[in-house]
Amino acid sequence: MSEIDSLMQGMALILTPHHIGLMVIGVLLGILVGVLPGLGAPNGVALLLPLTFTMEPVSAIILLSCMYWGALFGGSITSILFNIPGEPSSVATTFDGYPMARNGQAGEALTAAFTSALLGALVGVLLLTFLSTRIAEFAMAFSSPEFFAVYLLAFCTFIGMSKNPPLKTVVAMMIGFAMAAVGMDTVSGELRLTYDQPWLLSGLSFEVAVIGLFGIGEILCTVEEGLVFRGERARITPMTILRTWAKLPRYWLTWLRSALVGCWMGVTPGGPTAASFMSYSLARRFSKNRDNFGKGEVEGVIAPETADHSAGTSALLPMLTLGIPGSATAAVMLGGLMIWGLHPGPTLFVEQHDFVWGLIASMYLGNVVSLIVVLATVPLFASILRIPFSIIAPIIIMVCSIGAYSVHNSMFDVGLMLIFGALGYLFKKLGYPIAPLILAAVLGDKAEDAFRQSMLFSDGQLSIFWSNPLVGSLTTAALLMLFWPLLARVLKALLGTRQGHARRVS
Amino acid sequence: MSNTTDTPLVATRWVEIGLALFTAALGAVVMVGAVEIGIGWGDVGPEAGYFPFYIGLLLSAASVGNLILALLRTPAMSAAFVGRQAFRQVLAVFLPIVLYVIAMPFAGIYLASAVFIAWFMWRDRQRSTPYGIPIVAAISCGAALASYLIFALWFKVPLDSGVLGDLVAVAGGALR
Repeated sequence: MSEIDSLMQGMALILTPHHIGLMVIGVLLGILVGVLPGLGAPNGVALLLPLTFTMEPVSAIILLSCMYWGALFGGSITSILFNIPGEPSSVATTFDGYPMARNGQAGEALTAAFTSALLGALVGVLLLTFLSTRIAEFAMAFSSPEFFAVYLLAFCTFIGMSKNPPLKTVVAMMIGFAMAAVGMDTVSGELRLTYDQPWLLSGLSFEVAVIGLFGIGEILCTVEEGLVFRGERARITPMTILRTWAKLPRYWLTWLRSALVGCWMGVTPGGPTAASFMSYSLARRFSKNRDNFGKGEVEGVIAPETADHSAGTSALLPMLTLGIPGSATAAVMLGGLMIWGLHPGPTLFVEQHDFVWGLIASMYLGNVVSLIVVLATVPLFASILRIPFSIIAPIIIMVCSIGAYSVHNSMFDVGLMLIFGALGYLFKKLGYPIAPLILAAVLGDKAEDAFRQSMLFSDGQLSIFWSNPLVGSLTTAALLMLFWPLLARVLKALLGTRQGHARRVS
Repeated sequence: MSNTTDTPLVATRWVEIGLALFTAALGAVVMVGAVEIGIGWGDVGPEAGYFPFYIGLLLSAASVGNLILALLRTPAMSAAFVGRQAFRQVLAVFLPIVLYVIAMPFAGIYLASAVFIAWFMWRDRQRSTPYGIPIVAAISCGAALASYLIFALWFKVPLDSGVLGDLVAVAGGALR
C-alpha cells in the first residue's frame, strides 16, 4: 500500500540522531510546560515558534509536535499527583487519578494514564496514516467556496457545540478575525485597520495573543485562587509498571470506546477537553465498578487519558488535510506551518510529501519516546512543582515576555501581551472561550481570502455557497451546527412538553 | 475560589457590562477603520474593508447581546466577581508585571528580568524562612544568564539589552 511506503520513507527520514534528539528535547520541554501552571501546550508551542524559523520544517515540526505530546503527558502528572490539571483537557483525569494517588497508588495511576495515553495516541496516528491521503485527495477538488464552507463549518461548530455561551464565543471569535485583518490586506496589498499607527503596520501576531491569554491570564487566575501545591509522592519502579501493565488488558473495551470518542472529537473541532469529559462519563455509565468512580477507579483514569491523546493526535488530521486545526495547539502549529512558508491543506500532501510523512512517522516514534521519557522523569518533574510559587511565577512571566518579544523583536509585542493577559483573566472569569479567538486569528486571512474569491466568482451572490451539492451540504451543516442549541431546545420542547410542564409545576 | 470571609469587591454584572461595552467599542473601531478604506465593491471585487466591516458589525452586535443578557439575568450577576483580598493578590502580581514591561525598553530584558525575579522573591514574606540574599541573587541572575545563553548564543535571537545595555556597550568600547 502506498501509505505504508510513504510511512517507511518518513521513518527513514526521521531516524537520525539529530531528529531523535529533537524529540527528546521536545518531549522534555513539553512535560515542563504541561507541568508548570500558566504554561500549556498552545503557549509552549507559541513560545518555541520564533526559535524554529531557522530550522528545517521537518525538524521544526518534530520539535513542536513532540512538545505537544510531552505537554499532554505532563498534564496528567499534575492531575494525578497534585489534583491540579496542568491542561484543561486533563481535568477529567483528576476525578479518579488524584484519589488513586491519595490511596497510595500513584505509581499505578501514572502508569495506567501514560500507557493508555500512548495507545490512544497510536489510534489517532493510525487514523491519520490511512485517512489523510484520502481526505487530501478528496479536498483537492475543493475550490474557494468549498474551503470557505469548511471554515464556516469549523467556526459554527465552535459556536454551537461550545459549553460557553454562544454570544461570548462569537465575541471571542470576532476579536480573533479583527486581529487577523490588521495590517496588510493579503488580496489587494492595501494597509488596513492601522489608524496611521506605525506599530500596527506589521499586524498583530497570534503568538503574542496566545502567550498573553494563556500565559499571563492563567498566572493571574492562579494567584487569585491562592493555589497551594500539596502533592502526593510518586514512586515508579519497574515492578509497578509491569504489575499495572498486567492488569490493563481487561479494560480493552474502555480503551476502544475512548479512542473512538477521542478521534471523533479531535477531527471535529470538539477538541481534547470535550473528548476526555465525554469519555469519562461514558466509562462511568457502562462500567461494572460504577460505584467506585471518583474514589480511585483505574478505569476512570484510562478513559479520559485515552480520549485526550487520541483527540490530540487526530486534531492534526483536519489541520494537515484541510488547513483547519481541531484544537488551540493545532492552531498555533498551523500558524507555524504558514510562517515556515508551507501551505496547509490538500496540496501539502503533494508538494511537501517528505514533510507530511516525516511528521506522521515522527508521531509514532515521538509518542513511544514520550512514554519512556515521562516514566523516567516523573519524580524530577514532580519536584519542580514543589518549587515555591514566588520563584516559579516570575520565571514563567519572564519566559512569556521574552517569548512575546522574540516574535518580531519588538517591545510593543510585550505590551500587547500584557493587554491580552488582562483580557485573558477577564475572559476566563466570565466564561469567554479563548480557543476560538486563536483559531480565528490564525485562520482569519485564509477564511477571508476564500470568502472574497467566492464572492468574485459569483459577483457578490451568497447563493454560490449552495451552488453544488458538496458546498451546499457543507454550508447547510454549518448553519445547523450554528443553531444547534436552539434546534435542540425546540426539539426537546416538541418531544417532552409534558415532562417540562410537570417539572415547572413542581 | 475566593474565600468566604473575603468581602466582595465588585458584582459580576458590572464586570460583564464593562467587558461587553469594551468589545462593542472594539467592534465600532473596526467598523470605522473598515469604512475608511472602503467596504464596497471595487474594480477587483470586494474592497479591503468589506470583510472586516462585517466582522466589526458581528462583534458589536454580539457584544450588545451580552450586554442585554448581563442586564437581564439578575441572580447570577449579583454574585461577587472577585473578593477584595483575592483582587489585592492579583494586583500584587499584575502591577509588578506592568512595571517590568515598562522598564524593559530602558533597563533591557536581562536587567529588568533579574530585578523582577529578585523583587518577587524578596517580597514573599509569608514563608516561615524568607529567602536569603545569596539565593535571591543566584536565582535572579541565573535566570537572566540562562536566557542570554539560550536565546542570544544558542538560538541566535538577540534580546534587547535596553538603553542601559547600550551605554555599557559604549563604555566598554571607550575603555578598549
